[in-house]
Amino acid sequence: MRKKLVAACLLACMVFTTTACGSGSDSKAASKSGSDGTGSALFTGELEENVTIQVLENDTAISEGYFQELIDAFNEEYKDKGIQAVDANMDQYLDLANDGPYGYGPDVLYQANDVIMKYAEGKHILPLPVEDLDCYDQIPESAWQAYQTEVDGKTYTCGVPVNVQAPMLYYRKDLLPDDWESTWDKDSDGVPDMTENWSSMYEYSVARHSEDSSKYGYMKSLNDMYFASGFLFSYGGYIFGDNNTDASDIGFAAGEAEKGANVLSQLASAMNEDCIDDTITTNAYSKLADGTYFATISTPDVYSTFLAELEKEYVSEGLSEDDAAAKAKENLVMTSLPQLPESGDLTDGSTEMIDSKSMGGVNGYAISSYTKAPNACLEFVKFATSYEMTKLRAETLGVAPAREDAAEEVGGVSKEIYQNLDNGNIILMPSITEVSQIWTPGQTFFIDLAKDVYRPESEKKYTSLESMKAGLEDMCNQINEAITTLQ
Amino acid sequence: MKNRITYKKSAGNLLDTGITYIILLVVAFIFFFPCLWLILASLSKSGSMYSFDGFFPQSYSLDTFKKLFQDTTMYNYPKWFLNTLFVATGSCILGTFLTILTAYTMSRFQFKARKPMMKATMVLGMFPSFMGMTAVYLLMTQFGLINHLWGLILIYAAGAPMGYLTQKGFFDTIPKAIDEAAKIDGATNFQIFTKINLPLAKPMIVYTALTSFTWPWSDFILPKLLLKEKNLYTVAVGLMSLDETEFARFAAGSVFIALPIVILYFCLVKNMVDSVSAGAVKG
Amino acid sequence: MKSNREKIREFLGNASAPVKLSFLIMGSGHFRYGARGKGLIYLLIEISMIVYLIRRGISDIIGFFTLGTVHADAWAGVEGDNSVVMMLMGIFAWIVVFAFVFLYQQNVRSAYDLQKRVEQGLPVPTLKDDLASLLDRKFYMLVLALPVIGVCIFNVLPIIFMILIAFTNYGGTIVPPELVDWVGFDNFKKLVVLTKFAPTFGKILSWNLLWAVLSTTLNYFAGIGLALLLNKECVRGKAFWRAFPVLAYAIPGFITLLAFKFMFSYGGPINQMIISHGGTAIGFLDLDAKWSARIIGLLVNCWISVPSIMLLATGHLSNRDKSLYEAARIDGAGKFAQFWKLTMPFMIFATTPVLLGQFIGNFNNFGIFYFLRGGLYMDGYFLASDTDLLINWLYNLSIDNNYYCIGAAISLIIFLITSAISLVVYVKSPSYREEDTFQ
Repeated sequence: MRKKLVAACLLACMVFTTTACGSGSDSKAASKSGSDGTGSALFTGELEENVTIQVLENDTAISEGYFQELIDAFNEEYKDKGIQAVDANMDQYLDLANDGPYGYGPDVLYQANDVIMKYAEGKHILPLPVEDLDCYDQIPESAWQAYQTEVDGKTYTCGVPVNVQAPMLYYRKDLLPDDWESTWDKDSDGVPDMTENWSSMYEYSVARHSEDSSKYGYMKSLNDMYFASGFLFSYGGYIFGDNNTDASDIGFAAGEAEKGANVLSQLASAMNEDCIDDTITTNAYSKLADGTYFATISTPDVYSTFLAELEKEYVSEGLSEDDAAAKAKENLVMTSLPQLPESGDLTDGSTEMIDSKSMGGVNGYAISSYTKAPNACLEFVKFATSYEMTKLRAETLGVAPAREDAAEEVGGVSKEIYQNLDNGNIILMPSITEVSQIWTPGQTFFIDLAKDVYRPESEKKYTSLESMKAGLEDMCNQINEAITTLQ
Repeated sequence: MKNRITYKKSAGNLLDTGITYIILLVVAFIFFFPCLWLILASLSKSGSMYSFDGFFPQSYSLDTFKKLFQDTTMYNYPKWFLNTLFVATGSCILGTFLTILTAYTMSRFQFKARKPMMKATMVLGMFPSFMGMTAVYLLMTQFGLINHLWGLILIYAAGAPMGYLTQKGFFDTIPKAIDEAAKIDGATNFQIFTKINLPLAKPMIVYTALTSFTWPWSDFILPKLLLKEKNLYTVAVGLMSLDETEFARFAAGSVFIALPIVILYFCLVKNMVDSVSAGAVKG
Repeated sequence: MKSNREKIREFLGNASAPVKLSFLIMGSGHFRYGARGKGLIYLLIEISMIVYLIRRGISDIIGFFTLGTVHADAWAGVEGDNSVVMMLMGIFAWIVVFAFVFLYQQNVRSAYDLQKRVEQGLPVPTLKDDLASLLDRKFYMLVLALPVIGVCIFNVLPIIFMILIAFTNYGGTIVPPELVDWVGFDNFKKLVVLTKFAPTFGKILSWNLLWAVLSTTLNYFAGIGLALLLNKECVRGKAFWRAFPVLAYAIPGFITLLAFKFMFSYGGPINQMIISHGGTAIGFLDLDAKWSARIIGLLVNCWISVPSIMLLATGHLSNRDKSLYEAARIDGAGKFAQFWKLTMPFMIFATTPVLLGQFIGNFNNFGIFYFLRGGLYMDGYFLASDTDLLINWLYNLSIDNNYYCIGAAISLIIFLITSAISLVVYVKSPSYREEDTFQ
């Protein structure tokens, strides 16, 4: 009799566990029908008590003090619930897929969308019930898409977009020619032409350099694929086909991408050899500050570094610290990328312009699958993506929020970036693993293109649009080989 | 006649000495210049290597060093430094001990597995080590030694005997006659090793200690793999994690790494060239 | 020489019951013949082995063959199997099993020896005697035990792991939580079939060999030369002069490499000087700079390696037998004769291992071109640049492009080739064959 009872209990347990699993997936399916995304069954809404959650943030947020404010505010709010958020104190570029399964990763992590979505493939991060978050309606569809993945026909959202990263033009107002309003503002809209279109920027770069051979206009290393590929996208190039999901279709040479290569090579000809390796990438901060360069492009999160360098320069010129800070803020401008000539030639004087597209990313929060307290983590994510926190983040770090209301409020560049994302001028990095194989072949091509400008006439490889197209096709082939050959 | 010979000889000597010193000066310059460059760069006031006037900065200040040790919220250099010192000292002691013992044994004892072992270690050294890093990482997760400085010491010390060949070459040149004399006097192999061979091998021990102390200062692959917490970083990992705009700090940090090694060298240099073997054989 | 069969027959005929019982219960033979301590050790070994097998050994070995059956799914809360960990622990279990089999054999053999000793009326060695012999006759066993275990776990085990990875489909999309499978020789077949593969392999291998030979020779002779120079009697303040290379030695290699990369870059001080003297910037390390990059690599590597060789050679020089020199002087040998007849042969003999170590180290020198000139793929090379060594190429394949299994297969092939070459060289070298030359 007793044996039977035990057996019955066991059976009951088994049935219970199987149905529990079943109901879990049922409830997933049920909540799925309501909206696009759906969260893991782990998110029951019951907060775990007395837990410490480790949060991985990026280094700038920590060094600028934003992160401390964030966790202080969170810990204050959740003190009575026994939830505490702490700095995970790990490398900002850590690989969760490598550490998480063995119990060494953070609970909540802030990284770029392509990195986070790599984790989603191995289910190292949890799908989130994003429709429950108050930021859900504020963030554009394209940003959410960057965090979506399809498993067994269902769409899951695995991260919450926080801010948008896209290349921005940095320039110094005080380095504009004195009479720019009469000579460099043809459309008299109060904005200098060289920051509105690349043709004028090229013209000004040549002029500035020929006036004083130690000075340059626009400077940027070509070898950085992240910045250089935007020129290709503007003329019809793309990374992967089918909305960046089909790795068998590589589109760097698609459309009239060679025009973009041509623009790049013309811009390079107004620089010096430093554009071949990453010299400019590292020296831009100090060279923009000392006035050697007039403009460069970089992401919004390094705004504070540019600013600090410029302040230092003004201080060394004899200004007081406060004056220097004010003057630097006044003169350092970060703005959207200039427009490109439709013809793909910066020198032909054509006025038909198209919008510049650029490669970008959306950084956001994700929750590790290996966390012991998923609900508390979700609370943290909710808190950190709230309007106040997003706004504070944007103000402290100068980054562009993905939330519309915060972007509106902060205004300026944040709004511009938000609009660029919204209207498709920012091509988000693909979220599939193959993206890691585009960088080196791409970089090699752009170095070759930059080097070509400084090769003797007889050795030049890229003398016509056709040869540039061929070069781009070569690069696509190389990427394709890297992806497929050994599979 | 005799005078002429000495005269000729000393002229030759003078020329020889002169050339020797010229070469020494050149060599010293070649080795010193990049180091000097790094040292001066770390003292650069602007903090950016591109504002240099040719090779050297335009103005100097000690701010970078101050920053290196005081501004520790993001980059806790003093902590990294202590971590590395701990790991380096640990693996230096353990590693030297194991290496010297292994080398001595392989040089002095005749046993069946000796030659196969010599060949095996030779061949094992040819394997590209980073290919095995995945395995080392997994192994350490299984042993629960991630985020422990001890784990690092363990691996460095365990790997050290693989490089015993150099030390064995040294023991091969210490005459065996001494051992045999001691044996006749009734000493055990253990005593022969500790009382006779070890003192003779001083230069080699110093060399081994120096190399096994230096290795953890420059290795970043293994600590990067095994230490996840920033507070546990070694100097090399920490410096690699510095932001690209922190050049002066990078240079200051690199210069400071060299300090303990140089100090160790000057402490040990006497033992390194002290020759005792010449007297020992005769005595 | 008796054949094995005869030995076994003799053993079965002569061995007493307790010795035969040693097959089942280890150490029982020792107990019977009075070696209690040793018997107890053997018994404990057997018990701990059985405990290990039950607690995880058996499942580890099964896991080694299956490489996991349950697919992990963190979203559904399924913990699942981690194939790579299973493989690693499987290898570990095999090592334990082999070690046990060895001890098991020792147990029977030593029990049988004991029986014979007792039968012949010889004294039975106690545990104390055995321990004492570890300090004397078997000193080498005591000393080598620790290094051998350490090397087995942290060097041999990972190498076996990587070799076995070459026979699986690990890599690409198949990384945990996906389950890895054994695929036999598929990876090697792929390498043979792919036409892109062979030309790159050939080009890189030949450059790699050239690099290893050139840099080894350069470093070796520069290092020894410097040590000899500093050892000259006319040099005053040796410690001072020696400090310069030591300073270079004290700065970690990757920092040196980054510094040199910067010096030779377009915006670096060398190009700044060229430009300020009216020249045009030179791309020492850029895309088109195949040979200048290679030569810079050689020289920078020399800068990094020479100090340690010099230190080592200094140690050796102080160990020379000075009486030989006295004898030579009495015989009227000049300085040159002393140098060529005594110093050089001695140095070459004593430092052959250094030469080999240098060769191995340079052959697998990952850092030099990774730091000086990383991030390029050249035309005519498959996922590699023209300065890349095999180890850099392996890195590109297995880390940058995720082909762990292919990377492992290639490293196995490289490993076979290089180890064959170096083994032949080593076995023929005087420091291996004539270890007693300078006794």
